[in-house]
Amino acid sequence: MKQFLTNVYAVALKEYKHIVRDPFTLAVALVMPLVFVFCFGFIIDLDYKHIKITVRDNDQSAESRRFLYMLSAGGYFDLTPVHSPLAADEDLYKNKFPGLMIIQKNFGKNIRAGDVQNPARVQLMADGADNARAGIILNYMTAVSQEAEKIFGSSPRFNADMVRTRFLFNPELNNRWFIVPALSTIIIALLSILLTALTVAKEWENGSMELLLSTPVRPYEIVAGKLAPYFGLSFFNILLIFILAVLVFKIPFNGSFILYLSACVIFIIGALALGILISIITRSQTAAIQFAFAIGMLPGFVFSGFIFPIENMPAFFRGLTFIFPQRWFLTISRSLFLSDASFSALAVPFICLTIFSCVMVLLSVKKFKKDVEP
Amino acid sequence: MNNVTVTAVVKHMKKTPALSGVSMTFGGGVINGIVGPNGAGKTTLLRCMANLLTPESGTIAFETGGQKLTPAQAKKFIAYFPQEPSLYPDLSCAEHMQFFRALYSLNAADFKKRSDGLFAATGMGRFRARKAGALSGGMYKKLGLMCVLLNNPEFLFLDEPTIGVDPVSRRELWELIHRFSAGGMNVVMSTSYMDEALRCGRVFVLNSGRLIAAGAPHKIMEDFKLKKFEDIFLK
Amino acid sequence: MSSKEIIRVENLTVAFGSFKAVDGISFDVKRGEIFGFLGANGAGKTTTIRTICGLLNPSSGKVFVDGKDVSSDTTALKPHIGYMSQKFTLYKDLTIKENMEFAGALYNMKAADIKKKIKVLADFIKLEFDENSIVADLPGGVKQMVSLCATLLHEPDLVFLDEPTAGVSPQTRADFWGLIKDLSGRGTTVFVTTHYMDEASYCGRIVLMSAGKIVAVGTPEELVENNFPKPFAELVFKDARAVEKIKTEINASVFARAENYGAGLRAEIIDNGRFKIFSADNKNIFEIKTSAPTLEDVFLKLVS
Repeated sequence: MKQFLTNVYAVALKEYKHIVRDPFTLAVALVMPLVFVFCFGFIIDLDYKHIKITVRDNDQSAESRRFLYMLSAGGYFDLTPVHSPLAADEDLYKNKFPGLMIIQKNFGKNIRAGDVQNPARVQLMADGADNARAGIILNYMTAVSQEAEKIFGSSPRFNADMVRTRFLFNPELNNRWFIVPALSTIIIALLSILLTALTVAKEWENGSMELLLSTPVRPYEIVAGKLAPYFGLSFFNILLIFILAVLVFKIPFNGSFILYLSACVIFIIGALALGILISIITRSQTAAIQFAFAIGMLPGFVFSGFIFPIENMPAFFRGLTFIFPQRWFLTISRSLFLSDASFSALAVPFICLTIFSCVMVLLSVKKFKKDVEP
Repeated sequence: MNNVTVTAVVKHMKKTPALSGVSMTFGGGVINGIVGPNGAGKTTLLRCMANLLTPESGTIAFETGGQKLTPAQAKKFIAYFPQEPSLYPDLSCAEHMQFFRALYSLNAADFKKRSDGLFAATGMGRFRARKAGALSGGMYKKLGLMCVLLNNPEFLFLDEPTIGVDPVSRRELWELIHRFSAGGMNVVMSTSYMDEALRCGRVFVLNSGRLIAAGAPHKIMEDFKLKKFEDIFLK
Repeated sequence: MSSKEIIRVENLTVAFGSFKAVDGISFDVKRGEIFGFLGANGAGKTTTIRTICGLLNPSSGKVFVDGKDVSSDTTALKPHIGYMSQKFTLYKDLTIKENMEFAGALYNMKAADIKKKIKVLADFIKLEFDENSIVADLPGGVKQMVSLCATLLHEPDLVFLDEPTAGVSPQTRADFWGLIKDLSGRGTTVFVTTHYMDEASYCGRIVLMSAGKIVAVGTPEELVENNFPKPFAELVFKDARAVEKIKTEINASVFARAENYGAGLRAEIIDNGRFKIFSADNKNIFEIKTSAPTLEDVFLKLVS
């Protein structure tokens, strides 16, 4: 055991020196996460505030005015009243406004009556050409409608029940809240895979692997030693993003911090081991970097639920997301940020993440070549 | 006495035969040279001996201090320095030594004694802080030698240690290797320079994966009636 | 091109900061000769070549190529010069032909001429590979020869080869020097650097460089004869274990530069009379052979 630790330490120390002496690696490792977080954090926010919506209030009651006030109060919508339906229609078609809302007659009366059979109606038309924005409009409407429900004590209904749950824990519908916790997943996965993917390939290209293998050091010691400094780097990054999320973007963290850290540890180990595995298999830095980008980027953005909701995917792709650790870590990260999820609620993602990491570590130790056979 | 006995070793690299059944014994006392042109199988043979390749058939047996060992058992007694540059350009000489110290798990006292001894023997003491990437060809090879010699090996296998090394450093390297050999280490080195064959005490001439001659270089020249050693490949 | 000297270097110094890579050297290269530039790594060989080619500016001194000062204007000279750098100069992912076409295009050669020339050069190096082979797939020696062809494509009068045989097998080295000889036979001046002393014997004249200075100039034979008029002695021991003992006993007034050699020693005899006595005393321990001094011995003597 002592032998194991000294050998791992020796490899780790050497690797650490390589890292601090290569300004490029260090820059990528430390600056890239910041760039990602700030770009995503700020750009997304700027895009989707003050969306212009035309409103035609056919009811002109106290309730309808109250409802409109609630809509505009968040700063997300700039409402422009129109008086003829034709003009409103025309504006939408001419792409002047991305959304048109019509409050039906008897809106106030129906609210007061509280008859489930005869609800208060608001019609919303959103410009589907920009579906991201349309989605935002729709989502925000849902939230406002829920808010209105509480205030009016009955139901001005929108046909948006299915999205309601998704935003349950983000009542202000702040996209940042949604994006930033997810970002840590993407960045950590990409970075961890990328950095370690180069290390073993570098030893092969450098010729030093042959020398290393001729010494008594064992393959799993090399793997562990190479993982260690990058683990530190990735862990530092995840903390950095966490601090940015809480302090700069003011995202509340509701869950258990210990739980969050354990998830980080398991996730980072898995991602790093995946990187090493790529490196072991390719043996060339160029091939490794291409591989790492493909494996780090694509599942991170596409199959993690970061951009596309997993529940809306076709069955095959939904099944595919199961093998990507980003999916599980993303679930954990979002849940812990936005809700106070318990361990039992997160058991499935935790188990899946652990399985993934174990498999990666075992595979990379097993695949590690102990000789120089071609 | 330290001996390496190679018996009928066959090895293919991908599909091409690299060694087609070679047998020989590398004894101690003098430098053993494996001589042959590129592609003769020199590197493959050394790698098999260093336990980095496994022969398809045939055996390699080690003997040290009266014990018989398999290549795997002998690994801790072997130091192997490959032909390709294999040090880390961004690490200094002292850092290389520290790294190998850990790999060989030496205690501080042993390490200090051996490391100081090696720095003194190679004349590399002045370059402790210099990075491997900034060393000349000869110094680079010396550093590599120092790293693997930290383990106080019984067997020292060197793959073309003098390639790309200038005449002055080449002479120094030879002197160094002679000193280790005289100290009882079993030294086996390969070279593709024919003039270096004469510097070895015993040479093993490989061509296309076969052993075509073995023995003291002068003996071989007499037996084959050679004017120049390289003419052996014409016979 | 007219005058007898194609290159004339006068008092050339090239300094990088306070470090003088080349320190006040002067020499001439005659038209059509194979001029060997020998020295250890870092002796200043590559720096000198780069200065002659106009790639570096002299800190002081003058360099004339074909009578023109290279520090003034080298554009007119460039088409007459071929330079094969130490680093590999072909694109590994292109074919032989594509590399040649590119090299030719750099010298504004016509496509038809390039095509003809490729054929001629392929014959010249006895290329056994198809010209459509990817360079990365070629053996090291062949790559080096193809690289030479790319340098020769525009028919330069003066060719600089910077360590063309570094890391190449002995057989290929011999073949390569065969090509250089042919080239010189056709009137091309070849300026070649190497740190293999055994290659120097192929050169007409050589310069030995060490630490930026010239330590010797002449034909290989002259250099050996001037420095070592007498042959070396090689002591072949019957028992290798006796070598170290004798080595410490060897008297500095009998031998100089005793070195381990095979199962014995090799040394320069300084005093023949004493040597006879010494060998008679020890005739049971070793047997004596003569050994010719080499340029490497000369180099080691001059730089140490």
